[in-house]
Amino acid sequence: MLGAMPIAPFSPRTTALTSLLCLALLGCERRGGCTGEYCGTLVFASVGEPDGLLPPVLQSTVGRDVSDQIFLKLADIGLSTNTMGDEDFTPLLAERWEWDGPLTLVFHLDPRARWQDGRRVTAADVVFTYDAYNDERVNSPYRTGLHWISAVTSRDSLTAVVRFRRRYPEMFYDAVFHMRILPGHLLRNIPRDQWRSTAFARAPVGDGPYRFVAWKAGENLELAADSTFFLGRPHIRRLIWRFTPDLQVAVTQLVAGEADALEVLLSPDNIERVQATPHLATYPYRGNAYGYLGFNLVAPGDSTHPHPLFGDRELRRALAMAIDRERLAKSVFGGHAKVPPGPMSQLWWIWDPETRELPYDTTHAARLLTQRGWIDSDGDGVRDRNGVKLSFRLVVPTTSAVRRQYARLLQEQLRRVGVEVLIDEVDFSVLLQRVQTGQFDAMIQTWNTDPTPSSGIGQTWTQGGVGRSNYLRYINPAFDQLVEQATASFDRAQARRTWRRAMELLNQDAPAVFLFAPENVAAIHRRIADVAIRPDSWWALVRTWRIPPDRMIDRDRVER
Amino acid sequence: MNLRATLALLGALALALFVVGEARRHAAATPARRRFFRHRPAAWGLFVLSFFVTLAIAAPWVAPYGPSVTLEIVTLKNQPPSLLHPLGTDLYSRDVWSRLVYGSRVSLSIGALAMLVAVTVGAVVGAVAGYVRRWVDTALMRLVDVGLAVPRIFLMLMAIALWQRLPLALFVLLIGLTGWFGTSRLVRAEVLTLRERDFVAAARGLGAGPARIILRHVLPNVAAPIIVSAALGIGNVMLLEAGLSFLGIGVPPPLPSWGNMIADGAAQLATAPWTTLFPGLAIALVVMALNAVGDALRDALDPRREAEWDTDGATL
Amino acid sequence: MATWLVRRVAASLAIVFAVVTFTFLLLHLAPGEPFLPSGDTPIDPAVVARLRHQFGLDQSLPLQYAKYLGALAHGQLGESFALHRPVADALGDAIPNTLVLVGTALVLELLLGLAFGVYQAARARRLPDVALGYATLFLNSVPTFWLGLLLLLVFGEALRWFPVGGVVDPVVHASLPWAGRTADRLWHLALPALTLGCVGAAGTARYERAAMLEVINQDYVRTARAKGLPERRVVLVHALRNALLPLVTLFGLSFPFLLTGAVLVEWVFAWPGMGKLTAEAIFRRDYPVVLAAATSASTMVVLGSLLADVLYAIADPRIRVHGE
Repeated sequence: MLGAMPIAPFSPRTTALTSLLCLALLGCERRGGCTGEYCGTLVFASVGEPDGLLPPVLQSTVGRDVSDQIFLKLADIGLSTNTMGDEDFTPLLAERWEWDGPLTLVFHLDPRARWQDGRRVTAADVVFTYDAYNDERVNSPYRTGLHWISAVTSRDSLTAVVRFRRRYPEMFYDAVFHMRILPGHLLRNIPRDQWRSTAFARAPVGDGPYRFVAWKAGENLELAADSTFFLGRPHIRRLIWRFTPDLQVAVTQLVAGEADALEVLLSPDNIERVQATPHLATYPYRGNAYGYLGFNLVAPGDSTHPHPLFGDRELRRALAMAIDRERLAKSVFGGHAKVPPGPMSQLWWIWDPETRELPYDTTHAARLLTQRGWIDSDGDGVRDRNGVKLSFRLVVPTTSAVRRQYARLLQEQLRRVGVEVLIDEVDFSVLLQRVQTGQFDAMIQTWNTDPTPSSGIGQTWTQGGVGRSNYLRYINPAFDQLVEQATASFDRAQARRTWRRAMELLNQDAPAVFLFAPENVAAIHRRIADVAIRPDSWWALVRTWRIPPDRMIDRDRVER
Repeated sequence: MNLRATLALLGALALALFVVGEARRHAAATPARRRFFRHRPAAWGLFVLSFFVTLAIAAPWVAPYGPSVTLEIVTLKNQPPSLLHPLGTDLYSRDVWSRLVYGSRVSLSIGALAMLVAVTVGAVVGAVAGYVRRWVDTALMRLVDVGLAVPRIFLMLMAIALWQRLPLALFVLLIGLTGWFGTSRLVRAEVLTLRERDFVAAARGLGAGPARIILRHVLPNVAAPIIVSAALGIGNVMLLEAGLSFLGIGVPPPLPSWGNMIADGAAQLATAPWTTLFPGLAIALVVMALNAVGDALRDALDPRREAEWDTDGATL
Repeated sequence: MATWLVRRVAASLAIVFAVVTFTFLLLHLAPGEPFLPSGDTPIDPAVVARLRHQFGLDQSLPLQYAKYLGALAHGQLGESFALHRPVADALGDAIPNTLVLVGTALVLELLLGLAFGVYQAARARRLPDVALGYATLFLNSVPTFWLGLLLLLVFGEALRWFPVGGVVDPVVHASLPWAGRTADRLWHLALPALTLGCVGAAGTARYERAAMLEVINQDYVRTARAKGLPERRVVLVHALRNALLPLVTLFGLSFPFLLTGAVLVEWVFAWPGMGKLTAEAIFRRDYPVVLAAATSASTMVVLGSLLADVLYAIADPRIRVHGE
């Protein structure tokens, strides 16, 4: 191997050097044969590895990114990301649909749709899919989204009928967004409680634009374009996910030209590095996450008593006012995050800059703390009251660089108003266990949200969410009522006003300090054209991306 | 860097030089000291160690800023080395030099304390096993086998997973308690040969109990290998601490240790390499100095011994 | 010899059993929820409860332990919580990668260490020896992962001589001929193996130099010199042969340390081996994977020391093998 080195000058590209090595060793030359429009190899740098590719039982984000290239939904959200009604949705497996009364939705499947083993996609598959998603033995995490669907039946081989229990604005969204249609004929005989680890989940057969080729655990996963795909042949021939343990290695692979795309760069450092790399382009899009400093409102481990510190609303408000959220976001995200006016991501249409929030005002915060009896009586820099220090533990997961960074910056900001923050960096598994059982003072939480606020807000901020993801146990009936009103409203403008009133109520109670709502920045190789990124799912339109033949590099032409 | 910090740094350098000079001046006094300084790197190692120990003790004077003071979280983060910040600033706009200085306190004391625990346990176990022999010996040595059979880092990972928030003292104790296996084997082997020697037999003849014999007669005579393995072991502990911090389970923030400084900086390696480079160099320097001094000590304390392989290895 | 071997193997088995039990207890006493949502999406508690039931985590600890041992005795390692696949498959993918990495590092460590050590001893106290002495002292003192990070930055990203992590090139590997595939593998192996091997090689060199110097001053080497044999022959044949013996011990000893170093090197270089698998499994509380990894790692270590003992017994018949 080393003998080959001096023969040729070093080439920056892995493929080039590998072929040189091959050349030097064997005297062989393999020029890839693929030419024309439908060549191209796209390598995704992927942080983490799928936990399977069978949609109802997978939980990992990478798994979803990959499996959505293989399995189709009935219809998908449009570029507007509007989830109310059905007018902004685009057809996928279903070529069209109609309402048969207020509670019945009829889907007409595209007759051209085929499973990759040649069988037709039928309404029986849709029925099978709903049954599987709804089966306790399959234990799908997406089952909750199907709560209001009462039945799915087939009218004929290409017509599927979805019936609902009640009428609400996002019925259509629920009918199409959660389920990927599964091949009944291949899965029917696999026991439902073994779907998680069945062989099919690691070598699936679907109906999407790409079919499965190979998956080497710990290394990479490859898909190939299905040239007969009924909605149009995908332009890029090979999709490869390269697994890396962390974001840094992923960015380094991009910069070194060993990968072509990464959907989120996260830190301003990474963005800077990518922007300084000539062959990479950046694509900003609205992020689907928000993060906050949350206060446990009940005593740790005893939900019947208020938290000794955070049970006090005025104390929480003082802390909220002592935190310079704008500056924190600027430090951690550069210009690529906004301070949200409540628990919401940039993706949500309910984002309203007019929402009233608590101001950043340290003098007011200090005055408020002093009024409540918190003064630094022993001169150690930390306020105290009746011998109790104004000190709390903040728990963050070791896995999240952003949250660790925020924790340390918050620690310093709160120290300046005489509040002591002790940081517990714990494994994610421990964090989850502790917040679920209420064993914490304060936490920094991030949520990756659905495209719509209706389910997430309810699960995290209302009484109905206690025991689910309302870890802070924030309970305010007035807020709950506003949320219910807003989600039930068919009128978007009116709903938006109601959402705003709800958020203002929440901000006044300050159960949490809403810190950041990032804008995502993707890095993609400049040779890729027609890059379209739908903010709610960046991977949804990959099948329309293409590499013009004149911009192709060696990697694109390699014959497999 | 302000004037006070610069002067203090120069003072620390001068003091370290003085220590080495004094030591060398008295080197001719005994054969052991002569042998020590015959090792060329030893004087150098001594200098590095006294310098960093001085830094650790005098941290508040040498460091221009507090260890966790964020200077200006937007405009002063990840600044390259300059006159004002000789080693640059980190992601949180903290002065890297100040953290390095305070970090020497944490890292050196973790190294020394954990090694103290390890050597104490190792020496006691080894001495007891070697002296008492029979089933006690078998049981203890099997325990050592088990301890050596699991790679230490897995052992630490699992043990640390037990605690949701690990107090620093416990962290040190854990490192110590997973690091005594090699020492105990070493000591046991020494004791096995010693216990048959005349003076031990004589003490036994005079009616001394086993505890007394071990403490008064056996242990002092195996002190040399213990001291050497301790000197080398401190370095290993520092390397282990760095590795654990890199995996996210080291010294809790915002306390700086050289290990968690490397870990904090690793994410900015490409854009702000100084945050990772300098603490890594500091570790390398000190471990190097410890190894040099350890080697020299070995020769100094026991001229007839061949260089013994350091059973704790410095692979980490 | 035979009874010694039997006793030695029995002791090894006991050690592995002890490690399994210890690991099991430690894991189950540790806090943490093994079934997590991946990414920051809310998860339905009912889904988690059903998973816990499915994997028997709602049973009593002794029962779980008994069941695990029973399955282990039948060679069943169970199913991973997080990876959604049998543990045996996951280990089967990871172990060869680690063995290749550690094996190469070991060879590098011994070869480089031996070469430098002998060279230094032959040039003792002259400039090359002193220079190499400082160099090996330094290399022997750097944190492995830190060295890996720097090598990756310099040779991977800045100079682009070597790939940034991974085992093979995902794009071209499958389409290469046999020799090309081997070259591709070696090319990816170079940096991690060097990182891991260098640090160990420095230690070996320092040790081998001392051993050689010791031997060189002994009578039979002086005799060989006095007979007028060329210096090269004296060093390489007479002295080296006797300075090699301790290296066998070294071989047995350095294996666990290489495994430890491998955890961090695998982490840095995205090398899908045991170390990375196990560390991730510990963080995720993936009990079956951790248990299986502890079992196999301790088996490897115990086998390594067994092998070293046997080699030692063969190499040096003076050693009394039975009883200590």
